[in-house]
Amino acid sequence: MFDEEVVPSTATSRTAYSLPIDPLYTAEPPITDDLISVTSTAQGNTVDQCLPLLKAQDNSIEYNIHGVPRLRRRKIINYLKLTLGQLPAPFVAADASRPWSLYWALNGMSLLGEDVSQYREGLCATAQHLQNDTGGFGGGFGQQSHLATTYAMILALAIVGGEEAYAIIDRRAMWKWLCALKHPGGGFQMSVGGEVDVRGAYCAAVIISLLNLPLDLSSDSPARAAGVTDLFAGLDSYVRRCQTYEGGISGKPDAEAHGAYAFCALGCLSILDAPHRIIPRILDVPRLISWLSARQYAPEGGFSGRTNKLVDGCYSHWVGACWPLIQASLGESASRQPEESPTLETHSFYDREGLIRYILSCGQDHSSRGGMRDKPGKRSDAYHTCYVLSGLSSAQHIVTTDTLRVEQVANVTWTVLPHPGDQIYDQEDLLNPTDPVYAIPQGAREDMMNFFLSKPGF
Amino acid sequence: MPPKGKGAAKAKIPDSKPSEPQTVLQRAQQVYEATNPLEAAREQHGLNGLSTVERTAYINSEFVSTGTTDQLGKKAQKELWKQVNEASIPPRKLPKPKPEAWGKDKYGRNIAEYGLEQFHDRSDKILQLATLKLDSKEFRDTRYRASRKLKNGLTGESYVLTDEDIEAEKERRKEMAALMDDLYGEKMGSYSVDPAWDDVVPIPQTEPEGALAAIAYPEDYAESTSYLRAVMAAKEYSPRCLKLTEHIISMNPAHYTVWLYRFAIIQHLDIPLLDELTWLNEVSLDFQKNYQIWHHRQLLTDHYYPTIAGTPDQVKRFASSERDFMMEMLIEDAKNYHVWTYRQYAVRKLGMWDEDELRSISGMINQDVRNNSAWSHRFFIVFSNPAYATEGSHATEHDPAIPAEIVDREVEYAKEKIKLAPQNQSPWNYLKGVLVKGGRKLGSVREYTEQYVDDLGQDTEQVRSSHALDQLVDIYVEAGEKEKADLCLRRLGEKWDRIRLGYWEWKRTTL
Repeated sequence: MFDEEVVPSTATSRTAYSLPIDPLYTAEPPITDDLISVTSTAQGNTVDQCLPLLKAQDNSIEYNIHGVPRLRRRKIINYLKLTLGQLPAPFVAADASRPWSLYWALNGMSLLGEDVSQYREGLCATAQHLQNDTGGFGGGFGQQSHLATTYAMILALAIVGGEEAYAIIDRRAMWKWLCALKHPGGGFQMSVGGEVDVRGAYCAAVIISLLNLPLDLSSDSPARAAGVTDLFAGLDSYVRRCQTYEGGISGKPDAEAHGAYAFCALGCLSILDAPHRIIPRILDVPRLISWLSARQYAPEGGFSGRTNKLVDGCYSHWVGACWPLIQASLGESASRQPEESPTLETHSFYDREGLIRYILSCGQDHSSRGGMRDKPGKRSDAYHTCYVLSGLSSAQHIVTTDTLRVEQVANVTWTVLPHPGDQIYDQEDLLNPTDPVYAIPQGAREDMMNFFLSKPGF
Repeated sequence: MPPKGKGAAKAKIPDSKPSEPQTVLQRAQQVYEATNPLEAAREQHGLNGLSTVERTAYINSEFVSTGTTDQLGKKAQKELWKQVNEASIPPRKLPKPKPEAWGKDKYGRNIAEYGLEQFHDRSDKILQLATLKLDSKEFRDTRYRASRKLKNGLTGESYVLTDEDIEAEKERRKEMAALMDDLYGEKMGSYSVDPAWDDVVPIPQTEPEGALAAIAYPEDYAESTSYLRAVMAAKEYSPRCLKLTEHIISMNPAHYTVWLYRFAIIQHLDIPLLDELTWLNEVSLDFQKNYQIWHHRQLLTDHYYPTIAGTPDQVKRFASSERDFMMEMLIEDAKNYHVWTYRQYAVRKLGMWDEDELRSISGMINQDVRNNSAWSHRFFIVFSNPAYATEGSHATEHDPAIPAEIVDREVEYAKEKIKLAPQNQSPWNYLKGVLVKGGRKLGSVREYTEQYVDDLGQDTEQVRSSHALDQLVDIYVEAGEKEKADLCLRRLGEKWDRIRLGYWEWKRTTL
């Protein structure tokens, strides 16, 4: 990946002409209150930990001309590879979320441009092992099927791709199981007897649309007894009930607005219908935008998940990935041709430079371990590696949609292209694009959808 | 067949008594040599080192052992057998001992290399284990017969299994487990040694070849989950299963399946709520970040609520103890999302819309005025109270049913808290939420908000809260004062909240 000619010249230019860094990213914000509380102390400590990295003061790190650390691509790939191998005993804590480990590692590697087809066989064997006859995938062998682990497993299968991988999924059983999870209130339970929340709404919408499952509810579905006849019925109003007075989205109605649920809500709606139609109909978009925008902090540049909480690298995805969907909901990009309004084409609702600085400076584990992390002082893990990279990819690309022309949800075309012009990251640190709704490579999503579109019914 | 000739071929065959063998292999080698004198001599001196007679005898014996002598002519056969007899070759010979024939011990050491005493020791243990296994089988047989109420065919007596028998079997299993570990390094888990689990055939986890992200489970975990799979498949809901779930949860509280199974057991056995909560509270304090614990608690509350619903006093007492425990949790992490989500559920389920709840939340806001989870909960308990709120009214929309004095009270509350730390976004978000919910004009707080901004756009500009500036945008837009709104947005983007420049700029386009 690293061109030998490029690296030394970059290193030289760094020392010779490093450009000044905007104090927005290196100095305390202009207003701080004197009152001290648990929250302000934690916030102050986090800023203190981020500043040396943001100021490019750590000599052990290789910075580019903009004072931004290089992405240690090889290290990160190797780290993710380790997480797919045999895991030591302390990973018992992850025994109920094995499909997640698979998705995080494979998606992270895809973003980094690593060929993951070598894992197809191993993944197929693992998937078969975790699939239940009653539909869906459990978190581990002999465990109940769960929407989150099923979502992760299907995405992992999509990423490695190939009919052999697709064919593992028992679609009829999956449909029956989803019918059992459908809640009369519109949402989905995460497992039979499990909780109903916005994650369920998103995971179910992803699974149903990727596998082209019939929407009719089975005759024995408990939701049918309550008069619901369609898997998607009432899902949008369930999502609506999760918008809070702050404008953000909570995990369940009545709870606090939270970044991860904002993405689940927008992703779910963007599957149900074209974003420009459904999102303004279901949500108070101006208040949502205001809340989302307030997730970015200075000087850190990263996103927090809730008001008055700390920045965390994983929200680079959960919050960062909301922006293309928000933009699509406003019908912005589709209504203007790039040549007419070039500034709006590259207009960003958030500070891309700040986020990219945070990710490469604070979100990388600079130790020999490699991988990506929550914040300085934390160790990398597969979860953060996947979502920090996903957020970086999203910040590096422009998404446009053909929303105005289409009527069919499956026909929404998302175009994802790298931001043109000079960027604060080196060209070699550009990641692969990711699908704005499904959070996997676009080609992988299309291939799986096309495969199952040719299979209506079972 | 006794040898006829003798003394013909003794010259080089080792006849001195060999030294005492040190190891199992040495002893076997000596026995082998004693039954194979010619072979031993050849190994020692080589074929050419033997005398002619010895060499002939050796070759003959090798040939005889091939079993193909009948291919020779009659005469040649006769001659051969004559020579063989004269050489007095032992009629039976042992095969050469192979070092691997005894197998390896649990450390991977060849048992062939064991000292003799050590070897006898091991053999004793093997015998001991075999005896224990027989006794254990006897125990199981008796238990089986006793359970079927069978009678001894000879004596006519019924089979009975006494408590002493069970205790003895438990001891026996422990001894067996110790021997199995000692001899073979095989750990018998706590379930396989427990007679109470004998009837369960565990379902072990076998990884398919090439499986990804496989976990090297500690033995304890691997064993208990094997039993879990078995009892779940058998749909068993018994006290021993309840204990099993407890054990697994202590090792991996994120195992959602075991939690759901545990709840099913509780329903079947009708376990008293307090018993379960006492245990659950401890687990919750140990595993702060866990998701499943709180869903379990919700299932429990759902399950028991109908039994107390008719007695308001009981509901109140339960609500109050739930609040106490949640407060204990929130001391550890005042923003624990799972605890707060359960709290919102509990308020609705147990009708905790009272002064106590509001006072509790005010206390938390006083402790940390930036605790947004507490603010968010306050909004919920004030504006979703079924005593006056419209059912199903969305958080982002006006509810005309909210009494004016409540809106007033909450506006004042937010204003008062903003004063403590004007750059704290929580009460600003709250204030806006209250105004929208109460159907009030944003202009009603215009003067209050303007206090935090002086001389905007001038050299003497002072801003004590960027959130005030943000709110002024909406206030000026509402009042139709677009230029003022635009100035606020520009100053936010240029100086007071630059990281959100993209948002402020977009908002300018919407004016």
